Amino acid sequence: MKRSLFYSLAILFFLFPAILLGLKSVTPIWRWGEPLSFNWTLRGWTSFWMDDRILHALWLSLLIALTVTLINLAVGMMAGKALSHSSFKGKSMLETLLLLPLFVPAMAAAIGLHITMIRLGLANHWTGVVIVHLVPTIPYTIKIMKAGYDRLGSDLIDQSRMLKAGPFRTFREIELPLLLPSVRSAVFLVVTISMSQYVLTAIIGGGSVITLPIIYYPFLQSVDDTVMAAFSIVFAILPVFAVLIIELISRFFITKNSFFNRGAV
Amino acid sequence: MKKTMAVLTGIAGLFLMGCSNHTEDTNAAQNIKDKSWEEILQEADGETVRLYMWGGDEGINQYIDEYVKPELQAEHNVTLDRIPLDTNEIIQKLETEKRAGQDDGTIDLIWMNGENFKRAKENDLLFGPFTDQIPSYQAFYDTESLDFQYDFGTETDGLEAPWGKVQFVFHYDASKIQEPPATLDELMKFAEENPGRFTYPAAGDFTGDAFIRHVLYGKASSIEQLLDSPFSEEVAETESEEVWAYLNDMTPHLWRSGATYPSSLTELDRLYSQGEVWMTMGYNEARAEDLVEKGIFPETTESFVLQQPGSIGNTHFLSIPDNSRAKEGAMAAIDFLLSPEAQLAKLEPAYWGENTPIDLALLDDEDKAAFEELDRGETVIDQQTLTDAFLPEIDAEYVPWLQEKWIDEVASQ
Repeated sequence: MKRSLFYSLAILFFLFPAILLGLKSVTPIWRWGEPLSFNWTLRGWTSFWMDDRILHALWLSLLIALTVTLINLAVGMMAGKALSHSSFKGKSMLETLLLLPLFVPAMAAAIGLHITMIRLGLANHWTGVVIVHLVPTIPYTIKIMKAGYDRLGSDLIDQSRMLKAGPFRTFREIELPLLLPSVRSAVFLVVTISMSQYVLTAIIGGGSVITLPIIYYPFLQSVDDTVMAAFSIVFAILPVFAVLIIELISRFFITKNSFFNRGAV
Repeated sequence: MKKTMAVLTGIAGLFLMGCSNHTEDTNAAQNIKDKSWEEILQEADGETVRLYMWGGDEGINQYIDEYVKPELQAEHNVTLDRIPLDTNEIIQKLETEKRAGQDDGTIDLIWMNGENFKRAKENDLLFGPFTDQIPSYQAFYDTESLDFQYDFGTETDGLEAPWGKVQFVFHYDASKIQEPPATLDELMKFAEENPGRFTYPAAGDFTGDAFIRHVLYGKASSIEQLLDSPFSEEVAETESEEVWAYLNDMTPHLWRSGATYPSSLTELDRLYSQGEVWMTMGYNEARAEDLVEKGIFPETTESFVLQQPGSIGNTHFLSIPDNSRAKEGAMAAIDFLLSPEAQLAKLEPAYWGENTPIDLALLDDEDKAAFEELDRGETVIDQQTLTDAFLPEIDAEYVPWLQEKWIDEVASQ
């Protein structure tokens, strides 16, 4: 009973819209009340490929999102662990401070950062865009990682250290495998946020860094649903693709003979 | 008298600028000023020009990518890069770069008008005056025309060159409406007789604002007074009283009884494409052509303008930022974009379909015939009707004022 409810809701809310989007991208506009007729059209997809920079834009979006994700994970894990496992003066204040970037409007942050980026010579370059994408992502990653470390507790880590495993080995064999669910959510969130930044990318990248949103967002102001659907599909697939890449990297990191894969738990 | 004053102020302004400290910029401007067109073209040879413009229309994008790019390369050996960015962000970027003192910018050409131009001009972001050096502008355009000397009431001072011209038209579905309204009163009657079949985008949207301006033109005691005098709150207050009365009378007959308005032209277009409302509207009289072609608008779509008050039109322009690194290349590009051949290709419905600001009387017979014979498509009303109904824009300051007032007087009633 419960299971069938789950499946029917999942189909209704997730699968159905996805299929509809796919259909929309290859059919002309259908008016409410018109008889259902399927005239296929490739117009949506030809418009998508028309800009010859689209492949480059896809690749650049992916590169930026993955770099942002890796920096996020590095910073987020260290900060999360510190916030979770150690206590020091002003900890809760620090925690609040780290969340603050989320409350500053993106536009305000972008303009302030733009001047700094120009002085540092990072404006109009993709590395500058990576840095500015950290602003709306790092607070989330720190929160997620802190929750992950809270759940993990310090016992297993202490035990591993007692058995003379170095900090790196402890990280690779204990922390990373057990934190994998948190890592996955952080990766998905960060990739999606990074890939949907228009204003930050536009201002810091200044048009020299052409990512997918730079090409795609102006089309949001058009009434052509067929083209919009084609763009949206690619837009939705990219994060999935990025998550797959991160998943592969993490497989590589977590060694085969790790403690947990031996089935000792 | 007023004009001479303006020119004098302009000269005084230039003189002051010349005396200020940042000599580098003015030197560069002065350098180009002294050059002949041949020398400018020599400099332009091999340069890459980055044209920053709004990128949400495939027709426009195609025109630049498939027509202008190769032609410009062949003619002047200038490479054109089209960068899609919202105009607001472009100006923002220039402002920040100026504050940071960056004089090697990435933007060489901007497409804009109205408020954006005003903002750019007031902040000294633009290079120029340069239009007196552009041969095709001098040869084929009526340089004395007020349309080119003023942009939404702001003097252009040669800082921008006219690229295109659009007029506000309404589109309607001829299978549902036999006789489109010709005056504001008939429009009111149409709304009353067909409840829920008409609405306009909320103020704040570019097109919604323009619709409200049409009502203002129609209800004001004299259009001349609005056009000739700069914005004043008192005049606006008294002249707009009837506007709010008219719009409030209309509200109950609008789509969803006026409880909500489409927040953008896109939403109104969508309602129209779904047959929920029977009219849509917008700048660019040829806009519907492409949408009908793609099957988004019904095939029975036609256009009309209101005879009373008329149809507001405006010109949009090309400018060169002060910190561009390829000013000569940008000037060569502007010269090409303003040339009769490029303007003719722009007029063709296959690409953009947009009207040209060129003065047909200044063209040779062959070019003139080409412009006159070009079929702009069935949804575009003939040039004579458009010209007869033409109304210029009022001071740009009316735009935000009307927006706020509309929210107080209409939306929150």
